[in-house]
Amino acid sequence: MRILLLAFCLAARAAAADPKVVLVVTADAADFVHCAGGTIAAMADRGAAAHLVRVTNDEKDSWRLSPEETARRVREEVEQAARALGIQKVHHLGYRAGELASVSPTELRDRLAFYVRLLKPDVMFLPNPYAEYVEALDRHYTGSAAEEARRAAALANYQPPFAQVGLAPHYVPELYYYAAPVDPRRREPESTATFVPQPVTREIAATFDRKLRAALALRTINFSLAMRIRQRLEDTGRRLPLLDTVDDAAVAKLVEINLRKLAAIGAEKTAFQLAEEFHYAGLDYQIPQKYLIPPR
Amino acid sequence: MKVPVWLILTAAAALAAGPLPIKDLPPGKVMMVIQPHHDDHTTDYGMGGLIAQFTDAGYESHFVRASNDEKDGAHGYGHNDLINERECKAAIAILGMSELYSLSWRNDYMDPVPLQELRAQLIFLIRKHRPDVVLTHDPWGHYDRNPDHRKVARAMGDAYWLAGLENVHPEHFALGVRPHRVPYLFYKARVDYGKGHEPNVAVELNESQVRRKMRAYSTHRNVYASPAMARSVREQLAQEGLELPDLRGLTDEAAAVEMEEWHMDWISRKRGRENGVRYAEVYYFVDEFDHLPGLKEYLRQHTVQR
Repeated sequence: MRILLLAFCLAARAAAADPKVVLVVTADAADFVHCAGGTIAAMADRGAAAHLVRVTNDEKDSWRLSPEETARRVREEVEQAARALGIQKVHHLGYRAGELASVSPTELRDRLAFYVRLLKPDVMFLPNPYAEYVEALDRHYTGSAAEEARRAAALANYQPPFAQVGLAPHYVPELYYYAAPVDPRRREPESTATFVPQPVTREIAATFDRKLRAALALRTINFSLAMRIRQRLEDTGRRLPLLDTVDDAAVAKLVEINLRKLAAIGAEKTAFQLAEEFHYAGLDYQIPQKYLIPPR
Repeated sequence: MKVPVWLILTAAAALAAGPLPIKDLPPGKVMMVIQPHHDDHTTDYGMGGLIAQFTDAGYESHFVRASNDEKDGAHGYGHNDLINERECKAAIAILGMSELYSLSWRNDYMDPVPLQELRAQLIFLIRKHRPDVVLTHDPWGHYDRNPDHRKVARAMGDAYWLAGLENVHPEHFALGVRPHRVPYLFYKARVDYGKGHEPNVAVELNESQVRRKMRAYSTHRNVYASPAMARSVREQLAQEGLELPDLRGLTDEAAAVEMEEWHMDWISRKRGRENGVRYAEVYYFVDEFDHLPGLKEYLRQHTVQR
């Protein structure tokens, strides 16, 4: 039994060091780039085949564009962003943005579980459904469905038709839960020491430029952000000199300021300059430390 | 016995936590209170004192009550609904609010209400009144057993920012309203519920605001200020040869009102004491650019007046 356990541990550690397939689940075009882009790019650099499943169509977030035109543009832009990070393929589920509350959680889970079985990832990135004060609730619903999909995809009796067409059960050994750093309690210890993802930090100095390039590709969302900030300031008798003229250069500068600060927040209380923060569930999530017996 | 390190750290952090920062009113002219029930605006975990403070400062204010409160009170459903609505109007008037919207969803049965439908109503009202501030339930509050609280909180968690996007319910614009994102939020911090209700600010109240909060609270006679409760307390004291001089000569109903008001006075003093002032309420406050953690510091430093 001990030998089996040790073999499992070694295999899991090997997987942790060198993922072959990475599955990134995102609710929208920006979240995975801003919160996890640098770490995803680093894994792609190490040879992982990275795939992105994008759940919504982002139709709501634009400035003076129809939902249809917004969705069309953002689809192209997210493909560019994914390429910048080394992601091989984007799978668009096409749900309407802002409307996931009315989507069956089981339906969403099943669609995500399909990709888990199809791609057989070693590592999965998902929005953290337990992160609080996150504004876009699509992220919460997506994270919840993704977490459930990871579990369901490993069960032999889940969706027998999948197995019949060759999609065998698959267990994803490593999870990275990501979220924008808005939850004031995100770094507090979890309520129990076992079977709970724990906060980790990943340095992204080597991949930050690509993360920035990916973020800059999201032109529709970035322009919308800049215009909304400017409008809010105008409505309250203020101005931001950077946005006196909202052109490509100004928007790019705003995006860079945003990403550098996010990376600095991720690196707080570490020796890193630029980093991303996650809740990570790896080997210790499956086998708590107290059960790991060192070899004699 | 080994005590886990995380438990020691958490306990130490709790002990080390000092008073909350005292929050001044954010800038603006319009305030909305969006709550599930007729009495949620003035319970012992907020918000009557803060509402009074906003109206004292000249804010135009509107109260949205999402349910019909038919279960709350000792009467039949229809009767409760009518009494609670009437008392709600009287209570919000004491706090300086003039307008009440009753969305009248079925009380305690809001779980199956389609979120998008409730959300659409709130988005429309936000666009109509363009509030600078909304006082509401915390969408991230834990352990809230009330389905109406959870539903309204979750709908507001979407509505306050989706109302600012042109591609959300564009049909509203035919009525002359425009997109509007709510910049400031005060979420109720029901600290007796523990985790998920940790406040980040305290609001200092003056004597007059506390008095009005007390009166507004006791105006909800259909659900508070029970004469039976006052009678029971006085009977128990009498058995021990005691009495409360302040209640001498009062009817049971008047005594109940007096005792409810003491409770509101007590909780306002308690929150004040905890935060270094005489009277206070506590909230989780969301600032205008908190949703942009990578930009809010830059915006604070580089924004200038026009």
